[in-house]
Amino acid sequence: MSLSWTNMFRGVALAGLLFAVEPAHAEYLRIQLRVYGLDCELCARGVSASIQRMAGVKSVDVSLKKGLLEIVLVRGNTFKMSDLRKRIRENGFRSMEATVTAVGEFKESRFEVLGSGESYDVGSPDSRASATVELTFDVR
Amino acid sequence: MKFLLCVFCLSAVPAWGDGEGPAFGYSTAILGPGNTSVGTTLMWRSGVTMFGPQLTYGLMENLQISVSAPFHLDHGDHPTGRFTAMMPGDPQAEVLLGWRFFHKSPGIGTRNEATLYAGVSALTQDVPRADGPPLRRQPGMYVAVAAGHVSRRYDVWVGAGYQRYGTWSRGIDDRQSSSLLTSFVVGWRPSFFDHDYPKPDVRFFWETTGGLIGQAQRDVPPPGSPGGHDHGNAPPPPPPNSSGIVVLPNSGGTGLFSGPTFLCTYRSVAFQGGVLFALWNQPNGVQPAEKVRAVAGVTYYFLRGRK
Repeated sequence: MSLSWTNMFRGVALAGLLFAVEPAHAEYLRIQLRVYGLDCELCARGVSASIQRMAGVKSVDVSLKKGLLEIVLVRGNTFKMSDLRKRIRENGFRSMEATVTAVGEFKESRFEVLGSGESYDVGSPDSRASATVELTFDVR
Repeated sequence: MKFLLCVFCLSAVPAWGDGEGPAFGYSTAILGPGNTSVGTTLMWRSGVTMFGPQLTYGLMENLQISVSAPFHLDHGDHPTGRFTAMMPGDPQAEVLLGWRFFHKSPGIGTRNEATLYAGVSALTQDVPRADGPPLRRQPGMYVAVAAGHVSRRYDVWVGAGYQRYGTWSRGIDDRQSSSLLTSFVVGWRPSFFDHDYPKPDVRFFWETTGGLIGQAQRDVPPPGSPGGHDHGNAPPPPPPNSSGIVVLPNSGGTGLFSGPTFLCTYRSVAFQGGVLFALWNQPNGVQPAEKVRAVAGVTYYFLRGRK
């Protein structure tokens, strides 16, 4: 295949477009979320299926007895915790506290999950480094 | 033959119920947005056999729509009240909206809810009568409210609904019986079945329903009506009142039923069934008393939700 100026231009344009539309990486990696109201097998199945359809979700495990959802996410997702809580509310249940593992940066006193626009007060005075870190923390 | 037909229907067309609650009484469950269930129910009460397909779709967070179209496989001369909370007792197409207007989840596996139902219907088959030809078909409306507490171990629901029929056009005052149905349901999941997801989920209920069925009316006695229509036992209808309406004495009645039911769900399928026995049944006129009623149903759920 010959390399023409036209094809090179198309390639550069396509690459530019890809960079332009690729979101900054939000790095929620794992979420353990307490959910109130899950009482039956179909409830669990419905919630699981609904969350499974959210972009960036790799797997969902449900424990009815513990009222716990365990969500594993793929790298580079655009996942938002607020969307997850909304999805659970839409299914008729109530999301509570969570343990979150995410990659992000400390900005002032808050830990910001990159790309998601969501930040948390994790209350760790010695962790205000500017570097990107992976952190596990509790969310109320 | 009818039994085989029923078995075929049950196996070929998955499902009834909301997968959450009782077989006869009111419950509060609402499908999540984008979820669908398809179900069939076989309903039987002394001499009357009905088959009821039902489709339910979750519209919004607390709003669902369901369409059911039960029809007679065999009919009797009992008062035609509502068969179950979610299924008419007459052969009719019904569209029912369910709005869960109250919803609290105070703990793990626990919910307190209240749901309002409202729907419209249209009769699809003539309802045979012992005291004359069938009444002309009419549209109907239905409103009901249910409230309940559900948990991993126990469930309690109470509810009441009212069904009323109107007329399609002026001057035709045939009217099926209006009916009031109330229910009280206690559910129990034995510890033996208290498995974590994904395992079969089995629950047992004790359901009690009370029905008050009004009298039907006919606008004018059809000419040449002997009052028997192959049944022959009923006395001739009384003369019309000043409005030209005959209130049919062999219609309506009251009844109180109670009995065990069960619900078994696994993966996307729910099986449901149960039997209610008459604690007290007093039909008007010469209608036979009802001693027992039963349902069996299967439901398939398409739980995908929205993207």
